[in-house]
Amino acid sequence: MLATLAQAVINGLLIGGIYALVSIGVTLIFGVVKIVNFAQGEFVMIGMYISFFLANRFGIDPLASLLISMPVLFVIGVLLQHFLIRRVLALGDMPQIFLTFALSLLLMNVGLLMFTANYRTVQTAYSEAAIHICVAVGVSLALAGAAGSLLMPFYPAYPMVGQVFVLMAFVAVVLGTLGNVTGALIASLMMGVAESLGVQFVGADSGLIVVFVMLLATLALRPSGLFGGWSR
Amino acid sequence: MTRRLIASPAPWVGLLAAIALLLPLAISSPFAIDVFIRVLLFAFIGVAWNLMGGYAKQLSLGHAAYFGLGAYTSTILLIRFGISPWIGIVAGGMVAMLASLPIGALCFRLRGPYFAIATIATAQVLMLLFLKFRDFAWGAEGTTLPNLGDAPLMMQFDSKLAYYYLALALLAMGLAITWCIERSWMGYYLVAVGEDEDAAEAIGVDTLRIKRQIYLISAFLTALAGTFYVQYIYFIDPNVAFSFNISVEAALVSIVGGIGTLWGPVIGTVLLEATSALLQSWLGSGHGGVQLTVYSLILMAVILWRPAGLIGILTDAGARFAPASLAHAKEAPLDG
Repeated sequence: MLATLAQAVINGLLIGGIYALVSIGVTLIFGVVKIVNFAQGEFVMIGMYISFFLANRFGIDPLASLLISMPVLFVIGVLLQHFLIRRVLALGDMPQIFLTFALSLLLMNVGLLMFTANYRTVQTAYSEAAIHICVAVGVSLALAGAAGSLLMPFYPAYPMVGQVFVLMAFVAVVLGTLGNVTGALIASLMMGVAESLGVQFVGADSGLIVVFVMLLATLALRPSGLFGGWSR
Repeated sequence: MTRRLIASPAPWVGLLAAIALLLPLAISSPFAIDVFIRVLLFAFIGVAWNLMGGYAKQLSLGHAAYFGLGAYTSTILLIRFGISPWIGIVAGGMVAMLASLPIGALCFRLRGPYFAIATIATAQVLMLLFLKFRDFAWGAEGTTLPNLGDAPLMMQFDSKLAYYYLALALLAMGLAITWCIERSWMGYYLVAVGEDEDAAEAIGVDTLRIKRQIYLISAFLTALAGTFYVQYIYFIDPNVAFSFNISVEAALVSIVGGIGTLWGPVIGTVLLEATSALLQSWLGSGHGGVQLTVYSLILMAVILWRPAGLIGILTDAGARFAPASLAHAKEAPLDG
């Protein structure tokens, strides 16, 4: 019993750490440009595929491929900022939400088209632009890439996988008070453990319910999140 | 700009209605009728979303919650109690309204992207609950609806035409409700909330109350679509009823067409569903990713180049072809 409990907690911290990488990435972009990146989960997906192919073709250990997936996603982040996010900075909620949302849909479905038919890698052009916001967006995506590589040893890669993680990251961001990196980190770990305990002691499909109930209860009792005052 | 499109053209609306009524008699291929029904249904869902997301700019990505509740309510009443879906459809709407109260109370504490995220979570929670309730609502396997043949009293018809006209009636009702709200005090309050919530609050609009009220209406209408849909496809499971795609498409058609406008969702749906039907006939089915890839590209293009939606193109063209009055011509540049 105690061993199962300990195992569940450790599993929870492990997956919670992944949620933390994603949610800190979301928080970082939000911190500099006040935009919530709905496509963050798809960058995790890309990170996973990078690791998958490196492992498959070249036998590189997924953890070692961190050194490749992180810089690649950093560059994608810089390009993302330069070509898309920059253009909606001055606009309202609607274009900001739905631009990254459309990007999420696009990456997911391009992934579906590419990776279900025949497995192929994407060639990514490297560049070294570095302006402050670009760096923040780049680092954020690099974190997503890291999450992808770290997941690969124990989680299957499929085009829709990003949805799982982005949803969890958003819940963590709301729980941990938006814009608060430490809050996102702690909330992610808590969620990982809650999910794992839910799976262990309530039932295999109950993990998500436990997490969502945590979210809804927090919204009801402490709408500003667990860690601090209300910020818009 | 939309007000102009709507204020003058009673004849245009009449023409449109005549076309909509006669269309299925002229084109009788089952594939085409099926596409038309989808267009009408999703335009109706878009109209329901638009009341909330377009006018009040509460960008919900969880309207599948109400679609699913409507679908499940009428189906449970039909199969467990033998109650006609005509009653079930209204009951479903009521259930959705009831559900919108606590969901709204939670989600309205958040704004912008965080509101959107919270609404996704509520729809997901409902889906997970229905997956779990095996005894009550058939769980993950779902259930087929009993096929009663041609039973108009049970909302089942042999002819696809009947479904077409039913969907058309729903859309007409949605548009009429939007039209009434648009020119009532409520419409102005909604636009005020959508423009700047704090400012609206400051000048004495009870923003929470107005958001709650429009959410009730939007949820009710969305639930009607849910009942209609399961009656049309004779099948229900949590993944169909609470599909994230429903939430996405409701928002998508409105944004592409033009949010906060009467006809925006209709224009958006016609464009997107026509694209999807064309893709399907070119590529055949089985290219699951193609349709959403194209949708997302259209969405990005609209947001980057025409954030007010495609309805602007139509009104601009209208202004060019029919410089009816001096006032109209004068105002046209302001609209652009």
